[in-house]
Amino acid sequence: MLVAWRYRKRPNSLIQKFDPRAWLIFYACYLVAVITFWDIRFLLPFFIVALVALLTSGIRWHEIRRAFLFILGFVFFFAILTFLTGRGGMEHYAEEHLLRQFRAPFSIFGWVPTLNITIERIFYALSQLVRVSSLAIMTILIPYSLDPRLYGITFKGLGLSDKIAYAMDLTMRFIPTFSRDFQLTMDAQRARGYELDKIRGGLIEQVRKIGPIFVPVTIHAIIASEDIIDAMDLRAFGVGPRTWLDELKRDFKDRLLIWSGLAVMLISLTVGFFGYGQFWVPEAVIRWAGG
Amino acid sequence: MNKITQVGLSLIAILAILLLLVYGLGAANPRFQTGENPLLRFVFVIVGLLVAFVIYFVTRDNPAWEVGTRQVVWMAIGAALYAVFSWLFNGTVFVVPSLSQVALRPAIAIPMFFGYAFGPVVGLFTGAIGNTFGDALTGFGLFPQWSIGNGLVGFIAGLPMLFRDKKKSLDTVLWAGGLLALVAGILYFLNPTQANTLFFDPANNVFGDAQITLFAGISILVGFALVALVRFAFGQNLDIAAAVTWGMLGNILGIGFAAISDIWINGYSPVAAIVGEFLPAAGPNLIFAAILVPLLVVAYSAVQRQSGR
Repeated sequence: MLVAWRYRKRPNSLIQKFDPRAWLIFYACYLVAVITFWDIRFLLPFFIVALVALLTSGIRWHEIRRAFLFILGFVFFFAILTFLTGRGGMEHYAEEHLLRQFRAPFSIFGWVPTLNITIERIFYALSQLVRVSSLAIMTILIPYSLDPRLYGITFKGLGLSDKIAYAMDLTMRFIPTFSRDFQLTMDAQRARGYELDKIRGGLIEQVRKIGPIFVPVTIHAIIASEDIIDAMDLRAFGVGPRTWLDELKRDFKDRLLIWSGLAVMLISLTVGFFGYGQFWVPEAVIRWAGG
Repeated sequence: MNKITQVGLSLIAILAILLLLVYGLGAANPRFQTGENPLLRFVFVIVGLLVAFVIYFVTRDNPAWEVGTRQVVWMAIGAALYAVFSWLFNGTVFVVPSLSQVALRPAIAIPMFFGYAFGPVVGLFTGAIGNTFGDALTGFGLFPQWSIGNGLVGFIAGLPMLFRDKKKSLDTVLWAGGLLALVAGILYFLNPTQANTLFFDPANNVFGDAQITLFAGISILVGFALVALVRFAFGQNLDIAAAVTWGMLGNILGIGFAAISDIWINGYSPVAAIVGEFLPAAGPNLIFAAILVPLLVVAYSAVQRQSGR
């Protein structure tokens, strides 16, 4: 049985008004454009686009809450960690301007835990937060707004061959199914006394203990594939050019979205190539900090 | 001009373009040479795909390259399983502790097994697309040259299908893999203070800069010893021996390709790429290959016997 992503048709969704091919092309351009920059001034417009896409998607909070909180929690955790440790930012700035230093009143084997709050760390953490949130918001919208029935025709429409388009279609459909199978297998093995949550022992022992969930899920997937293969063979899959039940039509607004995405990507790459959009800290703030 | 000459010239042209990008434009703009330039990542994607294409081209008449209904479904299943296992075992859902800097990444057995059982095209798709979806689900970001590296793991694991006699090439592959593992191991012993760039431990405030441990450094030799043990212990079961041996070569070359590409992409030194990145990734993978791939091969053989397919 296939388990589907949490897609449903939403009458007021802006994303769903577009052809899925147009939206995916725009999304790909958006990704390339965002990862070109570290300057928060360049990243903020992309973040606003992501927020507009989210707020007009028609997805209700209770539908997306779990996934959203998980990803945002992840993003916040790493941004705060970067801020506290300063790691990761060193590639982008050579000098730090200290605002305040907190030293612990104790030492551990001679090492005194110290937190340096610098202008660069604050701006790097902010830039990272905006950059990763922009990517995460746009990514999370896809499974909620792209009709699973249209995966295949969408990939075909993007220029892939029938076989690769169908393989991509099936891959996206299988992911939630196998996640469910994994959970079921884990529950079944737990019921039989396997301690899968607390894998202990040496390396080889740990790998061996993974076997009772790893092997059944994989082999079950292969066995179940025979039904799908038979169904596809009965419909003469691969014998000639494939026809699709659903048809996608691209109109003016879709072409506009595609060209906007391509333009933004090309402009971003060009701007980035000439050295703009790198990590930025306002001069005024540095002066204020005494730098 | 025949087709092979044309492909050869095309490859030389691509190499020239790559050199021009790194040493020509790189001299004018340092961002093009190293750092996190996305363009270079895609250059390595093309290089990786070209490697696969050249192997296809010179053996294009072999039936191993046929892609029918079964291969399409297996590609999808392999990629989805690899994505799901990557997501579950990457510490986001199913927390598996790392031992002496060796994080458990059992999902790598999937492209190896699917490549070996269903052919190089299925292996390539499983590794490349599965890794891409896995990275997307995990939220770590997309690293296209690493996805192609994972694709090459599955692709190379599927190459025995090109041989009529799988046993013939087995020992050559084993010793070639062993030699590469030995070279990497020697590099570790020459540079034991190199940082493990893949080791992240937020709880203890460690982000890819802890010195590589002895176990992580020699894990590729441990993995090779296990693979050799399986190869000779299961000498009678050709499928187990071939799956593990070719999986090993795929892992060394595929992960090696991705790690070495970081010399240009991330500006790593060759030692940092091989000792700090390749060893902690490829070494543990070999251990999983030696244990999990035989389990999958045996289970799949039982299914084949039952179903008669």
